[in-house]
Amino acid sequence: MNTEHEDRLTVVSVMDPAHDNPGYWDRFRTGIMERAVFELARRREIARESVAAVLSGWSRSLIPVTLAAAAIAAILVGSEARSRAASGPPLALEDVLASEVQNNPYQALTRSEGPANLVAFLAVVEGNVP
Amino acid sequence: MKERTDSDLVVLARSGDSDSFGELVRRYQRAAYSVALAVTGRHQDAEDAVQESFLVALQRIEDCRNPARFAGWLLAIVRNRSRNLIRRESLRRGDEIPPSASSSGPAPDKAADLSALRSRLREALGTLSETQREIVLLHDLEGWKHAEISERLGMPSGTIRSHLHFARKALRVELSGWKDHGRAE
Repeated sequence: MNTEHEDRLTVVSVMDPAHDNPGYWDRFRTGIMERAVFELARRREIARESVAAVLSGWSRSLIPVTLAAAAIAAILVGSEARSRAASGPPLALEDVLASEVQNNPYQALTRSEGPANLVAFLAVVEGNVP
Repeated sequence: MKERTDSDLVVLARSGDSDSFGELVRRYQRAAYSVALAVTGRHQDAEDAVQESFLVALQRIEDCRNPARFAGWLLAIVRNRSRNLIRRESLRRGDEIPPSASSSGPAPDKAADLSALRSRLREALGTLSETQREIVLLHDLEGWKHAEISERLGMPSGTIRSHLHFARKALRVELSGWKDHGRAE
């Protein structure tokens, strides 16, 4: 069975410039490339410039934002340090809870006398110290 | 290594990549020549039109909105430039054989035969419509398949087959007296 390409009108091939001129198409292509040199160079230059422009555009907007963020961070850190210095050392949660309780209920809890400690602890908290 | 698609090559050529543009030229120079020859009917004019078209295509490559269809876009440029060229220039008379390297060219009698055959074939092609010439040259000279021509020229495959059938029939009639006339093999 004939394929589509075997069904060519072969005489038309004489219209191919390479029919009697081997290497014609390579030379033809070289001629086009020589004429395209300046346009290709111009395009490479534009591509380089556009990459540089993007980077400089980023840096133009990025630098003020970074400086502003750094300034805000410095202000926040500074104010936190000042408030920490004004309020003295930090309190532990158990100290805060037990701050208005007279005597120290934790001593009652930590005595090594077993389960009775819990009763002693509650008694201290409720102010029923024997 | 996987062959780069037309889309890849067009994108790279936009950034001035010489190899990519060179590959596009290598892929489509023969098809472009077929189209230009179908319009101008003369080797020298076709050559000029193709060179000019590739340079215009490079300058306007951003206008190729669908890089996958670069071939169809390029051939439209070739067609327009070829028409402009024959409008601009007065038609030159005489046979034009492409310049050939003297060392590798055919012997004088063979060259004369070839010249005569080309001349005859050019006349025969001249009896066809521009579209028929384009299709028969793309198929029988450049070797594109029906589907490729259909896709790249934006015509239904059936129309391509029909044009090809009638073009060949007409060419056979025109070339019937030629001693080595072409036949479908």
